[in-house]
Amino acid sequence: MNAIISALPRILPAVRRNLLVGLTLAVVTLPQAIAFSTTLAGLPPHFGIYAAIWGVLFTAILNPARVFSGGPNTTMSAAIGVTLLPLAPPFGADYIGYALTLILLAGLIQMLFLLIRPLGRMLDLISEPIINGLICGIGLFLIFKSLTGFAGLPINTEVEWPLWIAWQSFQSVLEIGNLYAIEIGLITLITSLVVRQIDALRNWAILIGVAAGTSYSAWLNATVGLQNTMIEQIANLSSVGFVFPSLPVFNQEALPDVIAILPGAVTLALLGLFQTVAAMRRMNRKIGGYTDSRKGIFADAVSNCLLPFLSSLPTCASFNRMWLVYNLGGQSRWTSASSALILLLMVLFLADLIAIIPMPALAAIIMLVGANMINWEDIKPHLNNRREAVVFMASFLSVLFLDLFGAVVVGSVLAIAYSKWEQAHPDISLRGNVLKIRGNIYYGSLPVIESTYHGAIARVGEVILDFSECYYIDQEGIRWLAAAKAEQKGAFVDRRRDQDRRTVERAGMTSRRGDENPRKNQRRRKPDRRRRSDF
Amino acid sequence: MAALPAKLLKVALIVSIPGGLYLLGVNKHAERGALRQAAVELTPACKAKLQDYALRPGGQYRSPYLKKMTGSWSELRGYSEEDVRAIQRGCNIVDDTQGQLARDGARERWNSTRYSRSTHSSCEHCHQGVGDKQDAAGKRLVGSNGLAASWVMADMYDRFTGLLLPYELRQMQCYINSSNGFKPNAADDLLRDVTAYSRFLAAALDVKIGNRYPEQGMDEIPASATLRRGDDYVRGAYMYREKCATCHGPQGLGTVVQGRVLYPALAGAESFSFDSRMNFARIDTVMPGFICRNMPPGAEGSLDNQQCRDIAIYLSTLPRPAGDKQGPLVAAWQQLMMTVMPPLTRYAESLGRNDTPRVPD
Repeated sequence: MNAIISALPRILPAVRRNLLVGLTLAVVTLPQAIAFSTTLAGLPPHFGIYAAIWGVLFTAILNPARVFSGGPNTTMSAAIGVTLLPLAPPFGADYIGYALTLILLAGLIQMLFLLIRPLGRMLDLISEPIINGLICGIGLFLIFKSLTGFAGLPINTEVEWPLWIAWQSFQSVLEIGNLYAIEIGLITLITSLVVRQIDALRNWAILIGVAAGTSYSAWLNATVGLQNTMIEQIANLSSVGFVFPSLPVFNQEALPDVIAILPGAVTLALLGLFQTVAAMRRMNRKIGGYTDSRKGIFADAVSNCLLPFLSSLPTCASFNRMWLVYNLGGQSRWTSASSALILLLMVLFLADLIAIIPMPALAAIIMLVGANMINWEDIKPHLNNRREAVVFMASFLSVLFLDLFGAVVVGSVLAIAYSKWEQAHPDISLRGNVLKIRGNIYYGSLPVIESTYHGAIARVGEVILDFSECYYIDQEGIRWLAAAKAEQKGAFVDRRRDQDRRTVERAGMTSRRGDENPRKNQRRRKPDRRRRSDF
Repeated sequence: MAALPAKLLKVALIVSIPGGLYLLGVNKHAERGALRQAAVELTPACKAKLQDYALRPGGQYRSPYLKKMTGSWSELRGYSEEDVRAIQRGCNIVDDTQGQLARDGARERWNSTRYSRSTHSSCEHCHQGVGDKQDAAGKRLVGSNGLAASWVMADMYDRFTGLLLPYELRQMQCYINSSNGFKPNAADDLLRDVTAYSRFLAAALDVKIGNRYPEQGMDEIPASATLRRGDDYVRGAYMYREKCATCHGPQGLGTVVQGRVLYPALAGAESFSFDSRMNFARIDTVMPGFICRNMPPGAEGSLDNQQCRDIAIYLSTLPRPAGDKQGPLVAAWQQLMMTVMPPLTRYAESLGRNDTPRVPD
């Protein structure tokens, strides 16, 4: 006891700072959580709120990363809506049951990624341009998707290719949108954007925007009357208490639908893991630390298996919120945990205020979040390199022209093709009669090597193959090398074996190894770190 | 200091772009409002139909149809001028969805062409008699797809989609599948006016909510209603050439004269999509029912059940647009087929014809 009291003065400032950052994080997360669940996932607001409470808390406890923030996520919420809207009317009992099942399935699939190590490693193959392409595409998709909510129009109950629908939704907004709703949405949007220009209030912009929209809506209710404005509000948060237990449906009647949502569950699981792994990778690099991404997969998988029993949206890492926590000086994962607890208190005591938030204001928030996802600073580096630009554009367009599942599939295939393409095209240079290969010699790259090798033989006659910078040769490569050797047209040199060009010249074309090299111990080859990680 | 003007400029931009869009929206709303107030110019069929049913503004509505069929009047609440205009516009939309008879084109039909990729489709093609097909004695025909009977069945369980299907959603399906297009918003006048017209028909015909009437939907023909010889598209192709090709064209691509659709396409880009209930490959009872009850015009009922099923299965083998459920790959393939097959088929048929001598190479 005395030890604790004596330690208090040391701990107290840190605790206070953590609590303050936690409060900011809670305030930033709350409107987003409500918006994600109601306008994107088609679920009651408490799903988003519980994700911001329990999702954040579970990931904070399970993930050892120094700065980590889980919680509700735009993309995952949108994936829930896209998967379930064709099956049942949103906000209904069936829909909620399917949503819980979907989240649990996603959690179990994520568990597979944890248990089967190579599957988890596959996630590391998703390169940055693919992730950024997906994120930008989804950002644009979110803007389109919230158009009808913005204008107080009924949401679309069937899902089609979003790009075709977007233009028509926009025209509908202009022609038949509820003008009161549009005014509320615009006030929220403009206020948030203007407040963001003031540096001191930047992090509070969304909350201030929602407050402005809600105030205008409350004024409209008082003067025009809700029966005339017909603005949808959050309302009825009476169900929100400390916990709200729930059960996913797996009964016999639901099974055909459960099977139908399996691709959606895979999408949901992958979208979550992509973001967690990518966000942890980026965060590690920005703050200069290292946490194994498997720990993140573990935290996500376990949390997402638990959350459907607590009426919550699934969780994954949010880079934006992590960056916010880091910039505000949050230093431990207890910052996120404290934000969860503060949010719980807020929800318990501010439910009446939350109930009058109008839906158009939330749609405006989704638009802002979507626009924030399209960040020119992230895109620019990808456009400098042609191959990266192609990958980026492909994954960006696949979100707009295919659905989310298609985009995830295209992204994964591109990622694997991208890394294979790199490996299959070793850097081959011919200088004099020395053909130097930097890269892999394996079945995939052999055709490229062979064509250059035979071209060189046709021109030069005899070729020295320098594979001192090869870091992997597979069995087929060895057989080819043996065959090339047997043809007597090529000689080999491998500087890693302390052999250099002069030795080859002195010993003649047939020599294989110069074993009397005085600099043997001075020139040590660099340790080959990439050998294992590249395959 | 340079940062401040830049920031001000940014704020001005943030305010002016949404503000400009808002003004544009207000302008468009006013345009719509004016169209709602404008007097409606009826198509000839609608003029006759609504005159028969004595639609006019007033405090009470009494249906002449009911008097004619039952000999008694029933008093219903009347229609305001606004209601009458909505019903008239709805009738126009059903009769001439694409606005080919309108002075101002599709704009008078609430921009219906925006929601339909097909340039042929019109509600009237499936819901004949402006959604209310009757024989000379005024008897509503079995399986004629009447809109009044559809309205009273709205919001009920739909066994094809497994939904409690609202009337607006059903209309959206028509736009998406039957005209291979997009769904209008549920709050769009395009759907509301057709709903108003259907409700008026229900009042005029005295059909009651929740009841099943014989003119509702198609009088479906399952395989069990035939002698079970099996459906054969070769027989179907023969029957099609005999009975249908004169109007719908040898490949079912429809007949258009001077920009007006006389007979709609049954295949190809202007036709209904894979997802439509009319597609035999999706639901094998609806199209045969439609053919047997409604085709050929003037000689309805002249085909037997098996013949109708054969023609329907033949039509399902022709290239047509993919539905949204099939995804982009199937859509691309169908697009290719719709481009390549008609000339190829024409060529192949010219080879097989006995009366035209083959040209030696």
